[in-house]
Amino acid sequence: MTRQTQGTTLFTALLVLIGIGVVVQLWLLAASVDAVLRHNVQIPLHAALGSVIVFLINGGLVMYVFWFDKRIKQ
Amino acid sequence: MAENDCKDCKDCKKQARWREDFPITWESDNYITRREMVKFLGLGSLLIAGANFMVAGVPHLVRATSYPQTRLGLMSEIPVGGSRLFNYPTGDDPCIVVHKDDGTLVAYSQVCTHLSCAVIHSEKDNALFCPCHNGYFTVNEGRPYAGPPTRPLPRIKLEQRGEEIYAIGVEV
Ligand code: FES
Repeated sequence: MTRQTQGTTLFTALLVLIGIGVVVQLWLLAASVDAVLRHNVQIPLHAALGSVIVFLINGGLVMYVFWFDKRIKQ
Repeated sequence: MAENDCKDCKDCKKQARWREDFPITWESDNYITRREMVKFLGLGSLLIAGANFMVAGVPHLVRATSYPQTRLGLMSEIPVGGSRLFNYPTGDDPCIVVHKDDGTLVAYSQVCTHLSCAVIHSEKDNALFCPCHNGYFTVNEGRPYAGPPTRPLPRIKLEQRGEEIYAIGVEV
């Protein structure tokens, strides 16, 4: 029972973290579009790199969620 | 709370049959939704990263487009301190070339970066002036210095071949 509750809490926490990452990515995308419209070349490149880093973190968290899920099922 | 303890609902037996048809408890229903949400967010994250790269590539694609070489006329046709209108790169893109006091030429898109009115050369202020909302741009760099515009005017690259002036590209 305790183990299941902890798992659920961890699951929710990871979900929130991934959600925050996606919101940050959306912000970076909006900043990129804004910079492109201002004819800035550097900002969109940095934003794209930042977005990829956030995606890698998100991907890692998603993998961890599935690994954790699998382990609990076993 | 046990299933038959429900006091608000008088028709609990009917509800129990409904639950048999969909034998998923609320707890597991939440669990499935969250797992799907994680998948959705992971995929969304990938798509947003891809979109960000596409947006970052746009300025490079625009730069790679080749511009035509258009003859604007003879240098002597534009008086020092004066200006002349032309269209570049297409017939629908109004531009302005200014013959500066130091004898050099500069050219910009005539479309104001605020709300797209046509800018004109103001000899009195030595500036490019937008009459719509009193926007001012410097002649030397096309930078806004007064009024609502915040972005500089796109600059038209010029080339002098003897006496003749050619527009050869756009610098944004
Ligand atoms: S359109 Fe030029 S200042 Fe507003």
